[in-house]
Amino acid sequence: MKLFINYIPQKLSRLASVFVIASAVGLAGCAATQQSVSVDTGSFKMPAYEHYQLDNGLSVYLMPQKEVPLITVNAVVRVGAVNDTTSGVAGMTAQSLLLGANGKSKSDIEQMVDFLGASIGAQAGKEGSYVGADFMAKDVDKMLPLVRDLLVSPDFDASEFDKLRQREMAGLAQAKESPRNVIGRYFDKLVFGQHPYGNPSSGTRTSLEELNVSQLRAFHKSYYQPSNSSIAIVGDFEPAVMKTKLASLFGTWSNGEAVQAPMLAKQQPTLDKSRVLLVNKGDAIETTFLIGGKGVARDNPDYVGLQVVNTILGGRFTSWLNDELRVNAGLTYGARSGFTPYSKGGVFRISTFTKSETTKEAIDLALKTYARLWEKGIDQATLDSAKAYVKGQFPPKFETSGQMAELLSDMYLYGFDDAFINDFQKNVDGLTLADTQRLISTHFPQDKLQYVLIGNAAKIADVAAQYGEVIQVEIDAIGFDQ
Amino acid sequence: MMRKIIALCMSIGVLFTSAATQATQAEDIKSFTLDNGMKIMVLEDSSIPNANMYLFWKVGSRNEVPGITGISHFFEHMMFNGSKKYGPKMFDRTMEAAGGANNAYTTENITVYTDWFPSNALETMFDLEADRIANLDINEKMVESERGVVASERTTGLENSNWRTLQEEIKGAAFRAHPYSWSVIGHESDIAAWTLDDLVQYHKTYYAPNNGVVVIAGDVKLNEVKALANKYFAPIPAQAPPREVKTVEPLQKGERRVYVQKASVSTPNVMLAYHVPATTSDDYYALDLLSSILTTGNSSRLYQGLVEKQVAIEVETYMPMSFDPNLFYVMGVANPGITALELEKGMIAEINRIAREGVSQHELEKVKNIKLMNFYRAMETINGKANTVGTYELYFGSYDKLFNAPEAYNKVTPEDIQRVAQTYLRRANRTVAVLAATEESDE
Repeated sequence: MKLFINYIPQKLSRLASVFVIASAVGLAGCAATQQSVSVDTGSFKMPAYEHYQLDNGLSVYLMPQKEVPLITVNAVVRVGAVNDTTSGVAGMTAQSLLLGANGKSKSDIEQMVDFLGASIGAQAGKEGSYVGADFMAKDVDKMLPLVRDLLVSPDFDASEFDKLRQREMAGLAQAKESPRNVIGRYFDKLVFGQHPYGNPSSGTRTSLEELNVSQLRAFHKSYYQPSNSSIAIVGDFEPAVMKTKLASLFGTWSNGEAVQAPMLAKQQPTLDKSRVLLVNKGDAIETTFLIGGKGVARDNPDYVGLQVVNTILGGRFTSWLNDELRVNAGLTYGARSGFTPYSKGGVFRISTFTKSETTKEAIDLALKTYARLWEKGIDQATLDSAKAYVKGQFPPKFETSGQMAELLSDMYLYGFDDAFINDFQKNVDGLTLADTQRLISTHFPQDKLQYVLIGNAAKIADVAAQYGEVIQVEIDAIGFDQ
Repeated sequence: MMRKIIALCMSIGVLFTSAATQATQAEDIKSFTLDNGMKIMVLEDSSIPNANMYLFWKVGSRNEVPGITGISHFFEHMMFNGSKKYGPKMFDRTMEAAGGANNAYTTENITVYTDWFPSNALETMFDLEADRIANLDINEKMVESERGVVASERTTGLENSNWRTLQEEIKGAAFRAHPYSWSVIGHESDIAAWTLDDLVQYHKTYYAPNNGVVVIAGDVKLNEVKALANKYFAPIPAQAPPREVKTVEPLQKGERRVYVQKASVSTPNVMLAYHVPATTSDDYYALDLLSSILTTGNSSRLYQGLVEKQVAIEVETYMPMSFDPNLFYVMGVANPGITALELEKGMIAEINRIAREGVSQHELEKVKNIKLMNFYRAMETINGKANTVGTYELYFGSYDKLFNAPEAYNKVTPEDIQRVAQTYLRRANRTVAVLAATEESDE
């Protein structure tokens, strides 16, 4: 393959209007007379949809789509790893919804869903817990009640839970066989420490051991409430008919005690020095690493502008990082960077991998390339190209019912609206060179960088020590920190 | 090289009645062939202002020989590294500045180049592709840095994927004559060894218009595509057809075994690989449904028999589409406390149970429904459409076979499933590979 896609999953976020701030700082090597050229990538708008609430506060999004006879349902509850009291409780609660509900056993559910050719899943992330279903339109009266049962009346069968937990604990050890799979969890822990954003939604081997079904029941009762949830339905249906179904299925779902939201904006740690988390994997044949720091929140008005600037640094094949580390130096199969936003903060990360012997060479080249943001800045032609790229690659992200259902769920979870889609092109087009300078100086972490290296410590410990205070852990140790 | 995603796109469904479908119909696909033998298919779809161009070339690792293993994949990389009009780096820079992105993948049988772009940039795509097909200019310096890139791609696959680690070994044991014996990425020493001349010859032989198929899907018009194809692709001369691959793997006459030791593996992984016929075989559909019966969904045989019983934490099957007879893979990851041998026996017991007792009509109905759902999912995007249509054109000889697939799947009976399990999923026809932290001792 030419390149992995989505090595770092990047979700776009809402953009409020872009403020054009004239910058007094001149850019070295940037010709002020360059003409900006805008590429027409065609028009793309949000398809028609409806948003309303049931009397109990459940948010509903309906978007009819007729291309194929399918329906996607995506329900989201505003709860995730940030709400964990015991690490992994949100994740295990979500997964345990599938272990039986409203008197139907795990096996009953699986037999029914598979026979319809449908699929159903449940999982928790940092800030949301999701139940997703995908099925043929003709099966709506079998699948929609099932979604309701999972959300509203899960059984939390103890013996099924014990089996799931055992598999998940084994899965944690298995995940660590692939550095790429787990490095992000180490990074979040390094950057956020004890703050909830450092919580891995997977939990750890010891924390999962502590959990029991009573905790899951209590967790479910506290957070899985209609006023704390939304349901997005996209696909082949008639809105009027769907509204009637939803009213009868979800109308009787009642709220309990007021939901306690964690104070996520507060007490985020200050990164006052560079630290290097060296995760020793004794038989590693390459070093996988992340370099970065804090990023931005999902609702940051600069978010779309940052997507454009990051495209130039590490968001596409011809980005500076990929061009230097891969194309020019042949050190790696791919190098990228990206912002991962949460609701009240986020991270920025440069990511790549290289054979153990060239670890130092790759880190130094990544840092040198990253420094170009401040030393040279961006020129007009590169900015124009990045704008065209970001605009041109935007519509396919919102092509399927599944993608649209996810977008609507994100709109609920992060509080943005369809202006994100409808104004996207305009906002990208409006970005000036002066804006890029401001974005770089405001949002990209320039110093006190944080590093996670997963590799063979016997070969790379001396290299690691050159970049900051080293914390060394074994990859098979419990959890994702020291 | 891209195992899972492609497998999903190629799962084609069962259309019970034509009235049931709003998805792509045969008449939605327009095709024409240029005088130089290049076949072009067009699917008009204006749901988003984007289009794609998928170029399928009939060259993969099956066309290689020892000494140049992996060259098809390496060549895939070189196709981005400079030609006459667009020198080194300019292919990507030009495409991205026009709003486009690209990728490519190489398999045992084919190499596929994928361009995704706003449909306004269609002509730029034709210009870029024509230039590298007609006038690739292989630059010595780019070859050297690309060796490092591909070596890293190989290493990162082995570092992060147990599947990749096991598959590389199992193929070497299952095939001793046919070029499917080596991995698509090739042997490490070969990646360092091929010459500029090897690469030049490879391009001339395989990247001829008569050896390629193009699919364009999205917000385009047939007439516009025709005009551009005539302008950019028609002038490229045809070449003599490449040498056919005639090697037939000798019949396997007894179980073969492979062991791979890797210290960081937390629990044993077991892979089974059974020889199966090429995709054009009548048994393809029954085998494909059998694969689903074994591992698709939590009600599947291996999930119920192994994961539900805490013997495995993961099970998977995979049968690639293939020009020549290939392998049907079954893989499991042991639960802690379960030995490699216990897992292997458990996997084989479930497979043998199908061979012995067959499957129910209900089970078969279930996987046919799953196939239909997968078909709709694939046809929901312009990329799924392009990839599916091109894949059918290559593996079944014509894209209209896509519309015969429903009937072919529908015809499969429970007896067919039992018969293919008995015929192919036999001990003597199997290679077993085990990956674990410590190899069992002789003591």
